[in-house]
Amino acid sequence: MAESEEEVDVLVQRVVKDITNAFKRNPNIDEIGVIPCPEARYNRSPIVLVENKLGVESWCVKFLLPYVHNKLLLYRQRKHWLEREALADITCTLLLLNPDFTTAWNVRKELLQCGVLNPEKDLYLGQLALTKFPKSPETWIHRRWVLQQILGQCSAADRSKKRQQGDAEQGDAERGVAERRDAEQGDAGRGGAERGDTERGDAERSQQLSEHLARTLHQEMKVCSDAACRYPSNYNAWSHRIWVLQHMGQGNVKVLHDELSSMRLWVSMHVSDHSGFHYRQFLLKALITELSQTPASTSSPQQRCSTAPSSSSLHHSQANGELSEGEAATDEEWQLSANTVLQLFHQEMELCSDLIQSFPGHETLWSHRRHVFYLWHHWRREQQQQQQKGSTNGESRSGVLSSNGDPAPPTLSAQSSACGGGGVNGQGHAAQAMEVDGVSLPDPRDSKRLKTGVRPPSPPALPSEPSFVSGFLDGCCNPEQRRFALAYKKWLDTVIGQQP
Amino acid sequence: MGTQVKDVIIKPDAPSSLLLDKHADYIAAYGSKKDDYEYTLSEYLRMSGIYWGLTVMDLMAQLPRMNRPEIVDFIKSCQHECGGLSASIGHDPHLLYTLSAVQILCLYDSVDALDVDKVVEYIKGLQQEDGSFAGDKWGEIDTRFSFCAVATLALLGKMDKINVDKAVEFILSCMNFDGGFGCRPGSESHAGQIYCCAGFLSLTGQLHQVNADLLGWWLCERQLPSGGLNGRPEKLPDVCYSWWVLASLKIIGRIHWIDKAKLRSFILACQDEETGGFADRPGDMVDPFHTLFGIAGLSLLGDEQIKPVNPVLCMPEDVLQRVRLQPDILS
Repeated sequence: MAESEEEVDVLVQRVVKDITNAFKRNPNIDEIGVIPCPEARYNRSPIVLVENKLGVESWCVKFLLPYVHNKLLLYRQRKHWLEREALADITCTLLLLNPDFTTAWNVRKELLQCGVLNPEKDLYLGQLALTKFPKSPETWIHRRWVLQQILGQCSAADRSKKRQQGDAEQGDAERGVAERRDAEQGDAGRGGAERGDTERGDAERSQQLSEHLARTLHQEMKVCSDAACRYPSNYNAWSHRIWVLQHMGQGNVKVLHDELSSMRLWVSMHVSDHSGFHYRQFLLKALITELSQTPASTSSPQQRCSTAPSSSSLHHSQANGELSEGEAATDEEWQLSANTVLQLFHQEMELCSDLIQSFPGHETLWSHRRHVFYLWHHWRREQQQQQQKGSTNGESRSGVLSSNGDPAPPTLSAQSSACGGGGVNGQGHAAQAMEVDGVSLPDPRDSKRLKTGVRPPSPPALPSEPSFVSGFLDGCCNPEQRRFALAYKKWLDTVIGQQP
Repeated sequence: MGTQVKDVIIKPDAPSSLLLDKHADYIAAYGSKKDDYEYTLSEYLRMSGIYWGLTVMDLMAQLPRMNRPEIVDFIKSCQHECGGLSASIGHDPHLLYTLSAVQILCLYDSVDALDVDKVVEYIKGLQQEDGSFAGDKWGEIDTRFSFCAVATLALLGKMDKINVDKAVEFILSCMNFDGGFGCRPGSESHAGQIYCCAGFLSLTGQLHQVNADLLGWWLCERQLPSGGLNGRPEKLPDVCYSWWVLASLKIIGRIHWIDKAKLRSFILACQDEETGGFADRPGDMVDPFHTLFGIAGLSLLGDEQIKPVNPVLCMPEDVLQRVRLQPDILS
């Protein structure tokens, strides 16, 4: 095989070109990998493209990587000049082999800034690198930078639109004068028609931008899911997903709801993925915050109450979760929000109970229970405080909490079978569990009654934790399950018990 | 119906005594394989690699075996115009490697090989309005970078050059309900991030802000039946997490809450009797990274064949005494 420096040069340049051509030939490559192949086969490229999979034969990696590595470093030290296209190709090859090479991503950032690369192309390269290196911190870091660029472009476009609008409004005033003058001269209306066109154009552009952002967000969620499936408890993938929601989906109740719904199945199938469950806790907390801050009247009670997966009403709700200001929330609206939150907690604890019983001995599930209970505990305390404040002000914000201010509900009927009863699917209490204290959950359709001032049925509440735990402590459980149940009990007694 | 606990089983013939000479030979030989493919692959973190190797050599009192002038020259050539240091020549500067470089120069008592004022300017320039630190000029935020910033400044005696109050505020905004910390506000608790945040709060004199019992609880729950510690629930035990968890427990004064003897036998079982060095878990491939954290962990557990290590900076205590740095530890 080619071993002299010159021969290696020729070989590697050809391979880099082959990789570039593979991407040109098939823009839908969706996975990369190394094909174990200790020796070169005569006259055949080590780059193999089968359907949408790009493979590199392993024998050439030991030539390829040091070559592109050194080439880039010489360029960085200004000892060797590279054209922009060559830089793009070399960093692409380098990063597919070694995606934590920070400086190579930085070179691409510079290429992006001067317009040689576009953001989507780099998101795609990162996505491919993640198929082989799903944890690669530098790949995730680069993605966040690229997404910031896209966000920056969008907000710049938004600002310039607003400026134009401002100009247009000022123009309107001037035109108004002109039009009156024109009217006197019998030539009215022309300026108005032109203005209509630009407004339509702006509206379309703004629509396009928000659609672009929504698509990017959706695509990011998919990239995160794929990486999460490739490597369990993938901290970088899940913390990226949180970052994306914090930066691209702020206050977007619909996105939070959709994520919570779609994650339900995922966590049920990955019961030891602590990061996946933490993401769920993040979503729950974000939703509760949103619902508690904006019990606004603009969103229909139906969409507020509905937390069921793929509820069609949600998809018709406001895409940005923007709620109009200035409308004072009424008592009933507060109550509806609180009911929705309570329902979220109820569903989450039910899911958690089901999973703990179906999959015994998973620390992740017990840790999830702690967090959800903690969130509930704090939310309840805030509600009580608000209620107390309300009653001292002579207002009544009732309905969520019972008159003695204690929302702690009776036990769910089926919890006593926690340990012994029920196989993986045969919990048998799914239907019962929706009933608490013999009263069904409020039907979203009941909201009409609310509007007309009829008091709603009592909202759902959480099961009693001590009795949930006691089901696991009678000695018939697997020892791990028993250990986690004991730790949970201790946590309730000390951490929650010590709080005011 | 049982679930296999995610843990390792330590075989009866696993190493149970400390092979110090083998480890020193392993590290001394590591740097000489510069043409290795593996060596190229890890060049992007070379500066940290050198810090791992030199620190573990110093803890074993073998530092004189390393090539001091060559290393100091190398570090000098990694300082950039902006003041920051890169992992290697031709790479871009970053806080991670700036800290590693300053740590190495402290071991060698040669911090003046650098333009210290420029290093300080570089770090200062990376602090954001909310008190957080970007890792480099491209703006990524992470609690690890806050630690790098204050650790470097503490070693240089220049902590007053940044807005410490704001920096503390950001770290505290990353605290979670379980007492732990993540990489950013809202992120999952992670033993590595907890180490950085606990170390940060120690260096800034703010350890009273930690809920030591709650955090200590979470950290202790990382110990598995094998004795090893993991970094998050249901992850495998790992020598490096053993260090991060153990050091965090030491910082918050709760190291006696775990089973030290069991952890010691887990760490010893991660040695390679033939090649020297430590792996992440028994039977895996060794590397300098896990070798440092294995030795440092044993030092924290009180092994007297090793120099005492400082839990906050992962450097020999005698070096910190020389630079007159005594980070807080809760009792």
